[in-house]
Amino acid sequence: MIDSAFVASAAPGSALAGETRRERVHLEEYSYDDDIVRKFLAVTIVWGLVAFLVGLIAALQLVVPSVINYTTAGGARPFAFLTFLTNVPFLTFGRLRPLHTNAAIFAFAGNAIFAAIYYSTQRLCKTRMWSDTFSRLHFWGWQLIIVLAALTLPLGFTQGKEYAELEWPIDILIAVVWLGFFGTNFFMTLKVRRERHMYVALWFYIATIVTVTMLHVVNSLAIPAGLFKSYPVYAGVQDAMIQWWYGHNAVAFFLTTPFLGMMYYFMPKAAERPVYSYRLSIVHFWSLVFIYIWAGPHHLHYTALPAWASTLGMLFSVMLWMPSWGGGINGLLTLRGAWHKLTDDPVLKFFVVGITFYMMSTFEGPMLSVKTVNMLSHYTDWTIAHVHGGTLGWNGFMTFGMIYWLAPRIFQTNLYSKKMAEWHFWIGTLGILLYVIPIYVAGITQGLMWRAFDQSGALAFPDFVETVAKLMPFYWIRVIGGLLYFAGAVMMGYNVLRTWMARPAVYEVPILKTPPLLPAHFERPVFTSRLDANTEFGKAGDVFIQNFQNAWWHRALEAIPSKFILWSIVAVAIGSALEIIPMFAIRSNVPTIASVQPYTPLELAGRDIYLSEGCYNCHSQMIRPLWAETKRYGEYSKPGEFVYDHPFQWGSRRIGPDLAREGGMRSSLWHVLHLEDPRQASPQSIMPAYPHLLNDPLDFEQIQTRVRVHAMLGVPYGEAVKDGKAAEMARTQAQKLAAEIVQAQGPTGLENKQIIALVAYLQRLGTDISKPAPDAAAPASVGASSPSDGKPARPDAPAETKSN
Amino acid sequence: MSHSTARPDLVPADPLTNHEYDGIREYDNPTPGWWYWMFGASVAFSFAYLIFFHFSIAGWTPEDTWADEQRAEFVRLFGSVGQLKPDDETILRSMDNPQFMTIAKASFIGACSACHARDGGGLVGVNLCDENYKNIKHVSDIFKVITDGANAGAMPAWKRNFSDNERVILAAYVASLRGTQPSNPKAAEGQPIPAWKADAGK
Repeated sequence: MIDSAFVASAAPGSALAGETRRERVHLEEYSYDDDIVRKFLAVTIVWGLVAFLVGLIAALQLVVPSVINYTTAGGARPFAFLTFLTNVPFLTFGRLRPLHTNAAIFAFAGNAIFAAIYYSTQRLCKTRMWSDTFSRLHFWGWQLIIVLAALTLPLGFTQGKEYAELEWPIDILIAVVWLGFFGTNFFMTLKVRRERHMYVALWFYIATIVTVTMLHVVNSLAIPAGLFKSYPVYAGVQDAMIQWWYGHNAVAFFLTTPFLGMMYYFMPKAAERPVYSYRLSIVHFWSLVFIYIWAGPHHLHYTALPAWASTLGMLFSVMLWMPSWGGGINGLLTLRGAWHKLTDDPVLKFFVVGITFYMMSTFEGPMLSVKTVNMLSHYTDWTIAHVHGGTLGWNGFMTFGMIYWLAPRIFQTNLYSKKMAEWHFWIGTLGILLYVIPIYVAGITQGLMWRAFDQSGALAFPDFVETVAKLMPFYWIRVIGGLLYFAGAVMMGYNVLRTWMARPAVYEVPILKTPPLLPAHFERPVFTSRLDANTEFGKAGDVFIQNFQNAWWHRALEAIPSKFILWSIVAVAIGSALEIIPMFAIRSNVPTIASVQPYTPLELAGRDIYLSEGCYNCHSQMIRPLWAETKRYGEYSKPGEFVYDHPFQWGSRRIGPDLAREGGMRSSLWHVLHLEDPRQASPQSIMPAYPHLLNDPLDFEQIQTRVRVHAMLGVPYGEAVKDGKAAEMARTQAQKLAAEIVQAQGPTGLENKQIIALVAYLQRLGTDISKPAPDAAAPASVGASSPSDGKPARPDAPAETKSN
Repeated sequence: MSHSTARPDLVPADPLTNHEYDGIREYDNPTPGWWYWMFGASVAFSFAYLIFFHFSIAGWTPEDTWADEQRAEFVRLFGSVGQLKPDDETILRSMDNPQFMTIAKASFIGACSACHARDGGGLVGVNLCDENYKNIKHVSDIFKVITDGANAGAMPAWKRNFSDNERVILAAYVASLRGTQPSNPKAAEGQPIPAWKADAGK
């Protein structure tokens, strides 16, 4: 559509050669909007500092519990003042970790992307952005989203899905700002451009905008149950599949493709060298966007996800290695003949190390997605190390390099201190190494400890907390690494601030002159086969290869944005459709289990607390069919167990043990004491304390709405949807459970407190599978669940358990 | 930037395309051959993997591997004794089997130590090392309490989590804690009962 508009407006007479025409048309005057770039650049630095600081606090929270009770010879507890990091509700790890990831991805990297796109797109298109108003709506809208995120996440408003935690009103705002303001502005800028062909950076921006829109909208579909509460329309296995399709491609299309676009613009600019290979950029762009979208299920190996999806996730990740490296080699080889510039240019230093980390991460990613490697790495810090190599190294360093290159240009003065930028580079690099190396060691150590058996065949480390206590030295080194990285960013902030202070009183705005866009004009080359003695088929193949290698067809595509956008959508839609549609359409993907029933109203309220406290950040609910794992946690999880889980809570990291079969494993009193202060139940625990759950009242009345939303989503709640019924059922169950706790000499008066709901939920987890199936004729027996009834899940005779 | 122009000898002489965007130019270099070979190899591997694991009888699933391990474990641990009876005699005999005791100790640390402490001295749960018991008269009662729980769920039922044999040897391990010296013993609860050997040969 975009294209037909400008073709129609072009003057007739396209037979004229381009050069002849260019002399005859008048020159159009325009200027670039660098003010918007200055804005995005400034907030990139500010939010970057916030994101790094929150990450640093989160890292500290994992080590602080191990020293709080440290007592000196004199009896003093010098670290006791740090206790607030472990028990202030809005500062607990479960709430800060989402704040850290959201701030790092959407605030820091997001604003960096926008700065890069607004600067480069105008220049690559030889035009000002289509609408200054839309640019500002985009800027302020995005900052509003970030502020809302920073307020709601610590308050516990969350959808409970990683990197998609923000609640539904913010999700709607994101869609409006991203596509309505940013996307529209960008695509309209392409339409009014004065450069016939689109440079490779623009291809990556296009792929970013269309794909992020698709991912965000599909993954965020939810039914509201209040202003700050909603439930995703998907449940269990399907929700997991959608979430990691989103989650992995947030890495792909938020942290990779726009940064490749950034690299393709700023690297040749900074190196003052041509890009290594145009044809490589075509091949790796299309293979990357086509293949990346399939790779999500590799986050769910050995889970209850059907094996075919897991295999697709692994294989497309393996195939993704070369497409990813295509970008890396095109970036690094652009430096041919300019390597000597690295010695005195911090910008190139940042870019080279950034791209190197990109290539390391994109080799490691495919490796980790191989199922047998993933068996060890999944749920451990290995993933955390992998991610931080990518984010600190690739996203961080590319951004820092871009900022140092941009700052003197957009503030129209010299960089305040090149030496300080050099120091930033070295401190930052050391910081990354001190972060990732100990965390790799921690990940592999813990993974091996979980699966270690002694000579008798028993788990060598049956107490989970042993495997956590072992990691403390590595976690301390990580704190130092993070501190160094943060210190480097502070230096950058100061450097840019001083640069900004030295800006001219009035910015110079150069007026540029360019002829308007000419109609698309190219001549299709004609090839003849280079083969003499061969079949017609062979010769046709040779002609095809010559056409492909010449890339004239792609050159034509680059001239027509509408077609390019369309093909980008096709490329990312194919993989999405082929994975998602069968997951929903084929019933055998999730075999139902008759005894699995919906959560009771009280348990549902408890589940909401579990979500709100961000328990999923440290606890998985997914036992894989691995011998060491079933030894530790019990029977492996089945797809049918999660059909009522809106959202799924399988988790991705076990900082604490898996909870899939937690129900009935400990007494309810133990849970109360453990939640009040984990150290009183398990001295080496690093879990936050939740004393407020014993005091804060449970809102019984709001459970009704939540039950009804679940009923809307197809959860068979029967009686419980009637007015007042959910609260009544919840009160009854709460009183019974509170009485049990009192009987066991526990605290009194818990029957109307939040903790009772959470304990009820924990005591239900994973118990349904061993209960007898309810009578098919009876309505769903919601409300009648006790963890202690059921038949043995693991009979001794091996023949009986061979389930397939 | 100054010496970039001073060293033109370092600039590759590869052919350029005629593209130029805001001063950025592009070489007309072909995609490196090794890139195509590696990409092709990853595609070939993927087809082979897919066919082997999903379209041939030779493939296996993680669930198959798990079932094999479970079978092997049963044979290794209980192959010579078969199904253990949860009676006094079997439990007392199991106390003398060092392999059973090591296995059961790991189960105890994983499942029981949260409430009874690693050494059995008791936390939320009772002290298992002293002479007093609340729901136990004979050694086989330990098996029953582990299996079905006690005190209205304060002691959970473990039949879901452990097989019959595992609970028999776990009962034996708990019985073996009696008379040991925990580091931080909880006060005794319940009544003193006769020594386990009174259960022998009944």
